[in-house]
Amino acid sequence: MKKIYSNALPHQLPTSIVRTTGNIRIFLIVGFLLISQLFFSPSIQAQTIPNSKITFGLKNKTLEAGLNELGRVSKLRVAFTLPQVEKYNNISMPKDTRTIKETLDLLLANTNLTFVFKDKSILIIEKTRTKQESNNDKYYTFGSVTDLDLVPLSGVTVRVKGSDQTAVTNADGRYSIDVEKGSLILFSYIGFETREIEAKKGLINVTLTPSIINLSEVSVISTGYQVVTKERATGAYVKVNKDQLGQRRLSDLSTILDGQIAGYSDGRIRGTSSMLGMANPLFVIDGFPVENTRYDANGSIIENLPGLNLEDIESITVLKDAAATSIYGARASNGVIVVTTTKTKKDKTEVSFSADLTTSPNSYYINNMTDANDIINIEKGWAAGNPNLQTNVGSSGFITDPTVNAYSSSLRKNAVYTSQGMQSLLDFYSGKISQSALNTKLNSLAGQGYNYYKDYEKYARRSPVYQQYNLNIGKATGKNSFNASVSYRNNKFADIYSKDESYGVNLRNSTEITNWLKLDLGSYTSYKNSTTQTYSALSPGYSYQTYDGLSDVSGNAITSTAASRLSTYTLDNINKYGLYSMDITALNELGMNLKNKNEFSNRTYAKLNVKIADWLKYNTMFQYEYGVDRINQLKDKNSYAVRNMVNGMATVSSTNKAVYNLPYGNIQYGETQKSTGYNFRQQLDFNKTFAYKHDFTFLLGSEIRESKLEYGNNSYYNYDPEMLSYTPVDQKTLINTYGTIIGGASLSAASFAVQKELVNRFVSVFSNFGYSYDNKYLLTGSLRWDRSNLWGTDTKYQNKPSWSIGGGWNICKESFFDVAWVNLLKLRMSYGVGGNIAKNSAPYMTAYYTPNSNVGGVQGTINSRPNPALSWEKTTTTNIGIDFSVLSGKLNGYLDVYNKKGANLLSNTMGVPTEGWGYSTYAINNGEMTNKGVEITLNAVVLKTKNFEWNASFLYGYNKNEVTYVNVKAPVYFLQLDYPSSYPRIGNSYNTIYGYKWAGLSSTGLPQVYDKDGEVVSSNPADVDAVVSCGSTVPAHTGSFGTSFNYKNVVLSCLFVYRLGYKVRNTNLAYLPSVYSSATYNYVPNITTVNKQISNSWKQQGDETKTNIPRIMYGYESDYSSDLYDIYSYADINVVDASNIRLSNVSLSYQLPTSLVKKASLNSVRFNFNVENLYTFAVNNDAKYMLGGYNAPNFVLGMNISF
Amino acid sequence: MKNKILTISYVLVFFASILFSSCNDYLGVMPKGAKIPTKLADYEAFIRDEYTNQRVDVTQANILLNDRNLTSSDLSYYPLWKANYMWDESADRVTLNKSDETSYYANYSAISTWNLIIENAPSATECTDAERNTLIAQAKVLRAMSYFNLANYYADTYDESTASKKLSVPLISSAVINAPYEQVTIQEIYDDMLKNVEDALPNLPETSATVLHPNKGTAYAFLARCYLQMGKYTDALANAKLALQVNSTLFDWTAYYASNKAQIENPNSYVKTVSPMGFNYVENYNYQHGERSYASSERNIPVLRATSFEPGDARFASRWKLRTVGADTYYTSTLTGFFNYGGLTTTEVYLIKAECLARTGKVQEAMDVLNAVRVKRILPAVYQPLATTDAVTALKYIIKTKANELIMTIMPFADTRRWNKEASLARTFTKVVGGTTYSLSPTSHLWTMPFPKGATDNHGNGSITQNVDK
Repeated sequence: MKKIYSNALPHQLPTSIVRTTGNIRIFLIVGFLLISQLFFSPSIQAQTIPNSKITFGLKNKTLEAGLNELGRVSKLRVAFTLPQVEKYNNISMPKDTRTIKETLDLLLANTNLTFVFKDKSILIIEKTRTKQESNNDKYYTFGSVTDLDLVPLSGVTVRVKGSDQTAVTNADGRYSIDVEKGSLILFSYIGFETREIEAKKGLINVTLTPSIINLSEVSVISTGYQVVTKERATGAYVKVNKDQLGQRRLSDLSTILDGQIAGYSDGRIRGTSSMLGMANPLFVIDGFPVENTRYDANGSIIENLPGLNLEDIESITVLKDAAATSIYGARASNGVIVVTTTKTKKDKTEVSFSADLTTSPNSYYINNMTDANDIINIEKGWAAGNPNLQTNVGSSGFITDPTVNAYSSSLRKNAVYTSQGMQSLLDFYSGKISQSALNTKLNSLAGQGYNYYKDYEKYARRSPVYQQYNLNIGKATGKNSFNASVSYRNNKFADIYSKDESYGVNLRNSTEITNWLKLDLGSYTSYKNSTTQTYSALSPGYSYQTYDGLSDVSGNAITSTAASRLSTYTLDNINKYGLYSMDITALNELGMNLKNKNEFSNRTYAKLNVKIADWLKYNTMFQYEYGVDRINQLKDKNSYAVRNMVNGMATVSSTNKAVYNLPYGNIQYGETQKSTGYNFRQQLDFNKTFAYKHDFTFLLGSEIRESKLEYGNNSYYNYDPEMLSYTPVDQKTLINTYGTIIGGASLSAASFAVQKELVNRFVSVFSNFGYSYDNKYLLTGSLRWDRSNLWGTDTKYQNKPSWSIGGGWNICKESFFDVAWVNLLKLRMSYGVGGNIAKNSAPYMTAYYTPNSNVGGVQGTINSRPNPALSWEKTTTTNIGIDFSVLSGKLNGYLDVYNKKGANLLSNTMGVPTEGWGYSTYAINNGEMTNKGVEITLNAVVLKTKNFEWNASFLYGYNKNEVTYVNVKAPVYFLQLDYPSSYPRIGNSYNTIYGYKWAGLSSTGLPQVYDKDGEVVSSNPADVDAVVSCGSTVPAHTGSFGTSFNYKNVVLSCLFVYRLGYKVRNTNLAYLPSVYSSATYNYVPNITTVNKQISNSWKQQGDETKTNIPRIMYGYESDYSSDLYDIYSYADINVVDASNIRLSNVSLSYQLPTSLVKKASLNSVRFNFNVENLYTFAVNNDAKYMLGGYNAPNFVLGMNISF
Repeated sequence: MKNKILTISYVLVFFASILFSSCNDYLGVMPKGAKIPTKLADYEAFIRDEYTNQRVDVTQANILLNDRNLTSSDLSYYPLWKANYMWDESADRVTLNKSDETSYYANYSAISTWNLIIENAPSATECTDAERNTLIAQAKVLRAMSYFNLANYYADTYDESTASKKLSVPLISSAVINAPYEQVTIQEIYDDMLKNVEDALPNLPETSATVLHPNKGTAYAFLARCYLQMGKYTDALANAKLALQVNSTLFDWTAYYASNKAQIENPNSYVKTVSPMGFNYVENYNYQHGERSYASSERNIPVLRATSFEPGDARFASRWKLRTVGADTYYTSTLTGFFNYGGLTTTEVYLIKAECLARTGKVQEAMDVLNAVRVKRILPAVYQPLATTDAVTALKYIIKTKANELIMTIMPFADTRRWNKEASLARTFTKVVGGTTYSLSPTSHLWTMPFPKGATDNHGNGSITQNVDK
């Protein structure tokens, strides 16, 4: 290696580095400059350097001295090698003021040297090359490549058309290449249109425009903490851009991502990585984590999607592996979804407006269920087989057997069976109606088909209509950029009284106060007003059959009278004590007791960005979140719910009169939830490239976060909405009211008021670094400590950081890798640890205290046992990925393989009964679980001509979840069956469905399963060890296939989303469920709408070889047991393959011709028509029904205008 | 430039110092809606947690005695219930017992709470030493009562000759996670109960804060129950007398009948009236729930069982009424509310006193005590005082009344096991169902309940041996 000196600045650290460009080697030396000097040096724009003037002259000096002097005068660095210059002595030139370029021309006039400007340096190179160039008609071309905003693009492939000469732009977007005269230079870059430029000598600056076809490849990704170039990322990031979403309706965040990201399915990234902690990904909007936590009606904590104007989305980046997410520390292990909103580009004013109208036909799918005729046949079967009804019809056509009469009238009086069919049968067997009257009645009922459901569709449902409008205004002038968007949505749902209306206003402003200080302010405010129908005609408060209806032939609402469904004893009491009517008119109830909800939320942030130097930035940002949700529900005193409650609380006074302990009147229920939160972060960003090749980024920051949730509800009785008055009630008496006349109601302390509060606090310190050598070799790492009030006080758990390390190799940049058709080939690897939390776990023994209404005073209940070892969950992810792009980007994609190992997962462990915790499980950090998977993303331009383009994309994600350690075993079989996620089993997926192994029907048509010893039983094995795994509810294979055809201004696209290899428990069984009959203290089969296949049930011996549908049983058989339903419903034959492919979206859009649009002073106008969920292909019809595959599709009409 | 750096450095240092100095305070925020118990009142409040600590579920005992009507659903759904109800000695109740656990779990969860109080009350704040000692004493009595239920359910009845050899139930005296315990002998568990209650007595109040809190009367009544069960009639009698000094009131069921006559005698009305046997029942020494801690009706009883009540029993007539629905006939409950199935009442102490008197040769005094109870039960129109001079006959009268009076509590089961040891009092139960005669011998292994599978499978820091093979 030759020694090289650089003269310009005195402090130097000589080093030698080899740089290769084409075939020519230039040896340079670069001094690492002392930092202070660098940022104190005057900033000279590279382009102006050659023309800036200096005063320079010299007499009989060596060239070396001359160049050093030039460096000193020009304050530029001049780089040369000694062998180059030592042969030139006695150089003179008159002192004068010239441009630097002129000076250099003179200085090197008689040498075979020439010069090149590079950044703030002058490189002295040998002229031979230039000479050769001119000899061979070659040009030396150089310049920079930027995007439309003049942001330099690094990694752009610069290739001479028809030759294998290639160069790549550096981090500053600069390139240089030797080209033959008259040839064309191709500039290609993933995500941008390739440009061809005719070669010329010297500077060619190129601007690339983003391509519309290469949708998923973009140069820059935002992690929420920093922006990194895709090229330098080592983690698994997937970015979805706005234009990718453009033609679909932006209904909500989760559906937007449906089928767009390999490995994202059903709101989860890369499977389920937590058992009891949070399993949803963390959402980050414009750099801030946004959590939308609420209490649900049961007091459990739920995570909602964050609110934002979806049309503002510029891009969504999904962070999947540890290298990508571990900077999020204790919330990283479920993946992170980073949303970036649009920002108007420099010096532009943009106005756009969009409108969408969505509807779907009113429909209620019922065709796979029993119709009126089926039900009548089942009801007739009940009577035919009943041993208590075995008698003959007398000649009169009436039943006269007194035993049979007594039995039947007892059932009738006690209201054991209340359907019209059963009551007619009982009337007949009681001797009240004749055989012919019975037959007439039953025949008429049998002919009703699906009458009830038809009425339901007709009177209680409608075609849902969803409207959404959005107006976006952006204006940028000089150093200020402003964006505003307003969105309005109006939804009318299928339930006729359910609707909502919402507004969202998003304001953002970014100002460069000085050239080193930038202030970003933003505020998002949303308001939503919704009305929810609380009464459903499908569960009207009484049992109905499909032959019943909601409206009679003349259009009057049908009333279910108290007399038709209550026992004579209850009716007698209602009459005797003059209680309020217990009739129910379903169609009148629909519009009553509507729940009105107002949601207001605001999110405001300020970010201050201080540019200390080009390479060092200080950021501080603060966000405050505030949200209030209010629910008001006026329960109308005329509603059945109120009448039933008031009656149910009535007792008998000493004078034998009814006492309404609860005053009759409207009941006002109010609920308020207030959420507040703040996030304060500051960080230092270091970013510098040394010697063109060593690129360092380093970030150090701290963060404080608090979120607080306050919940309260209260109820007022006998409320007058006009006067706003109510009757104070005696809570203690009401809570202790029993011995009521008809029963059926009870009040607890929660019936009056409930208060809850949750506070989560975090303090975090984080750091992140990235190093890339020559853009070929990449190394990244991150480290983060979190402390929170959520987990144990033991410092050994508090001080464990989450961290990651990642490496990348841009193979296509290697000189040995010389494959012209490969534009990008990159290998990525990462390994790291991310955390996760459970929001409502605490390390201490806690007890909660409530008033005791029985004996007075306060009662204390132990809530959780002390768990000082509570810590965050730890998920270690290994990820190996390949990014590639070939054929000038016509085919590009990613491949990722990952292994996520969760340890310290909060999991249930059994309480010890003898320790007093027999029924309790409690959560400790001892679960382990792995998620292994593969993800493939492919995007291709299949065909492209001037007017026509055909694109296709294919996404595939494979995920296998396995629980590798838990220390829990369900104590009882039904807990394993009903709460599989509380009792995961080692070796199975966490989301396993459990069941009994089916053993076919018995010779008498009873369902049979295998017990733990492999014996066939027709009773419930009732043993945890007989319970087997039946498959996972999470698809092993998920993904999508999308294709679009562009012809001139028309785009037709469709998206298929597939989910394969998973199971669903079929709950739509061809078997009558059991119901507890309080009159008989027995379980009896509930004759109700079930799967139509019940008509193919076992009827006679031998049928067991033909069918798996058990014999219909009515409860009086000696072999009947309510367990039979459980055996059958839990059998693995009723866990069905749910694999399906859904035609999720078909869209046709038309862009008005520009010429036409311009006349109207518009920028663009687009119309689109979409069909959502057009069709579902499913392996199993029952599964298709369970998955809503028979629901009507949505039709969307949309318009998009920009000014 | 330098100023800028300096300013930023100051800001950073400032925030960093705030961050580290107040970090622990900031993160030390405690959850609301729940707290860490520290004051004595925080511990005392656990006594009022009826669901966790005041339930005595003896379902299988009731079923074995056929004191509770089972429907065909119950029999087909619960093989264990069926085995006990139909006296099926071939049934392997150990493996059938997969879901019937509350008897065990509820008693041990109460014991855990009492252990927690006994461990923590000495260091609890905001109280006097007297208050502290009272709470500890009450916890000890309640703990002993739980052990009595367990020992008389899952292990053999007390027999002086074998009590030191046969195992009883796990004795656990700490609430700490993974606390060690030992399955002690019958003698040890009785010794532990007696010692705890004797220790507690001086610190117990005459009248306690609520009926859930034991008082002196509770302790005497419990000692009477315990000594009787051990066959120590003199000790039992002495404590029964002490208990009756605290409370000797008997509820007048004949008066109750008279005031609810219309409702009780109307065969078609099943309106439920409020139970007088709840928290304010005049007979209470203390109150504990049965299987359910919420207001509810009583279990229905079989028609055959109803025949063992004396004619004119107002207490029975006020509680159950014949009902037929479809093909099923049974006596259905007509009271609703709360029932003191788990605590101690004066009726029991009267009958303990009567038995002790009969056992110690004071037959006439025994009959007087028995009749004192009966006169409040049997309607005046049919009431006749019972009289005998024969001790065994007297005992049989007492047995019959006690089994009826204390139905649904653990005592009929515990008493029957005890009486079954004596040839003159042993009873063979028989019934005919569908033409088949079923019987339950006094020596049947069914008289001891197997530990639930959940407890033996997940036994914690100790081992559990079944006291019955199947």
